[in-house]
Amino acid sequence: MTTVIRLEAVSKVYGQGEAEIHALRAINLVVAAGEYCAIMGASGSGKSTAMNIIGCLDRPSSGAYYLDGENVAGLSETQLAHIRNRKIGFVFQQFHLLPQLTALENVTLPLVYAGVAGRERLERAKQVLDQVGLSHRLDNRPNQLSGGQQQRVAIARAMVNQPLLLLADEPTGALDSRTSHEVMDLFAQLHSQGITIVMVTHEPDIARCSQRVIWFRDGQVIHDHLPPEEVGQVLFAL
Amino acid sequence: MDWSESVGMAVRTLSANRLRSVLTVLGIIIGNGAVIAMVGVGEGARRYATDQLQSLGTNLLFVVPGQENARRRGVEAPNTLTFEDAEAILRQVPTVDQVAPQITDSQLASYRARTTRTTLIGTTASYAPVQNFAVAAGRFFTDLDVERNSRVAVLGADLAEKLFGTKSPLGERVRFGSVSFQVIGVMEAKGAFLGSNRDDAAFIPISTMSNLIAGRRSPYGLSVGFISVSARDEESIEAAAFQITNLLRRRHKITLDDDFYIRTQKDAVAIASNVASALTIVLAATAAISLLVGGIGIMNIMLVSVTERTQEIGLRKAIGADPADILTQFLIEAVILAVVGGLLGTALGGATVILIGIYTPLETVVSLGSVLLAVSVSGGIGLIFGVVPARRAAALDPIVALRSA
Ligand SMILES: Nc1ncnc2c1ncn2[C@@H]1O[C@H](COP(=O)(O)OP(=O)(O)O)[C@@H](O)[C@H]1O
Ligand SMILES: [Mg+2]
Repeated sequence: MTTVIRLEAVSKVYGQGEAEIHALRAINLVVAAGEYCAIMGASGSGKSTAMNIIGCLDRPSSGAYYLDGENVAGLSETQLAHIRNRKIGFVFQQFHLLPQLTALENVTLPLVYAGVAGRERLERAKQVLDQVGLSHRLDNRPNQLSGGQQQRVAIARAMVNQPLLLLADEPTGALDSRTSHEVMDLFAQLHSQGITIVMVTHEPDIARCSQRVIWFRDGQVIHDHLPPEEVGQVLFAL
Repeated sequence: MDWSESVGMAVRTLSANRLRSVLTVLGIIIGNGAVIAMVGVGEGARRYATDQLQSLGTNLLFVVPGQENARRRGVEAPNTLTFEDAEAILRQVPTVDQVAPQITDSQLASYRARTTRTTLIGTTASYAPVQNFAVAAGRFFTDLDVERNSRVAVLGADLAEKLFGTKSPLGERVRFGSVSFQVIGVMEAKGAFLGSNRDDAAFIPISTMSNLIAGRRSPYGLSVGFISVSARDEESIEAAAFQITNLLRRRHKITLDDDFYIRTQKDAVAIASNVASALTIVLAATAAISLLVGGIGIMNIMLVSVTERTQEIGLRKAIGADPADILTQFLIEAVILAVVGGLLGTALGGATVILIGIYTPLETVVSLGSVLLAVSVSGGIGLIFGVVPARRAAALDPIVALRSA
């Protein structure tokens, strides 16, 4: 099986001297293609920092990161932007849709930066919006959509360029439990189509939708392959 | 990402915030409007000045007493040029057609109870043809009138109206100072020009002027204010100037500096044109400063916009925009703002120029050149003042940007 993510002794240090914060302490992590992982851990344990590095939004202070077999360390800003565009789809807690654009236009945005021609862009965007069940909402702006619908538009945007990896930092953090499960159903569907998913969550309920739980504490990975049904025990032990 | 995409995106963003966009470009609108209007008015003034001078005749020369550049206010005009010099020029210079010496004096003109101050010009019969100045009613005085010291006067159009209203002055008697004259003609109206208004003047024979009103005898003869000379044609102006210089040097027995100088009408046109052009440049430069201020306004608002759109920038970067994409996006927004402002300002300035053309004697013009210049300068200003905000946007760290909720 091919490896999508390989972190080797990755550390991240913020600040200097007295104010130094070790957000990540030499973590090792391997995620294979097609895996569906949930990252859990207390607030401030380094989950988002790890996600940012995995998503090529940030660089490690030390250690090596291989994405899809490629060492990311030496790449320029522009090359990283290209990788984010082609290989990674992001879903955020706050959706981050552009308010002045319609759902359809929001979804076409990654294709604009990929240099896909106008007509093909619309075709592909419509197709993914159909997949997330929003083909009747193409021309609505974000403020005309519910939270769950907005997150589905964001997922469509993440998927439109057919990425290798879907990264979601607390994707249900702003949603109620019913819409949260709609989103999880969508993730399950995407996973069944073969995409690799890594999501951060606080909720054991949501983590249970994944296959593998990675537990962070104080910038270190303390459980690497926790079965989702054992999340409750770990929480109890803490 | 190609250009049409970027432009389309910028237009969407700007039109989503229409009021702010308009306010942002207000400075550019005003700056551009001012430049177009000022250049238009300056150019109109230049044309007006040169047209007026040209209408006097382009084969005209003036012989002026004293040294060039040495005349000062309050110092009595030198008396080195005489009536006899004028006669000699007419007789001895072959390229000269006509000659009109003149003495000018300020006098009170009165008709019955009405009194007004006027410029009294004593001259010869050649004055009207030399100056390209025609009589509207009656006649101009003749050589015979000059020879006989006749007390006859020709009035400028405005002066005639001031003294006589709508009544015909012909045959009436007016007084200049204490001397009474018979009005024999009224000149056509020429309009005021560069501060002097010949429509307000009166013309009398130079002999009468020198004997009864303002004559100055100098060692050389009867001194005159200056001599207008018309050359045979435009081509012989240079030759005429040369020959007159030689003649007068001989007559005045000059070995060192000349005690007279010659101005051609062409010189005067060139000077007026230069003055007007300099004026245009000064006006345009002043207006250009407001254009600069407009550019700073764009920079300000774009900086605010970058701050406000931090999350948008972070998101765009996360989904694949590279720094160059973000840079171009903001630069294009700045340039579009500036160019649209430039076009609106040009329309405003153009309208102003046209209105000025309608309500003043200036023949104003909106030249395509100044429009193109204004619009491209605005675009350039947008580009220059857009750089700082655009670079700030391009340099934003996506993580920080996305977190700023
Ligand atoms: N940009 C930053 N500058 C300084 N400290 C940071 C920064 N980002 C995160 N941290 C710190 O690093 C640690 C890990 O943060 P984060 O990865 O956001 O944790 P989590 O997502 O697990 O809550 C925290 O102590 C946080 O305060
Ligand atoms: Mg976090």
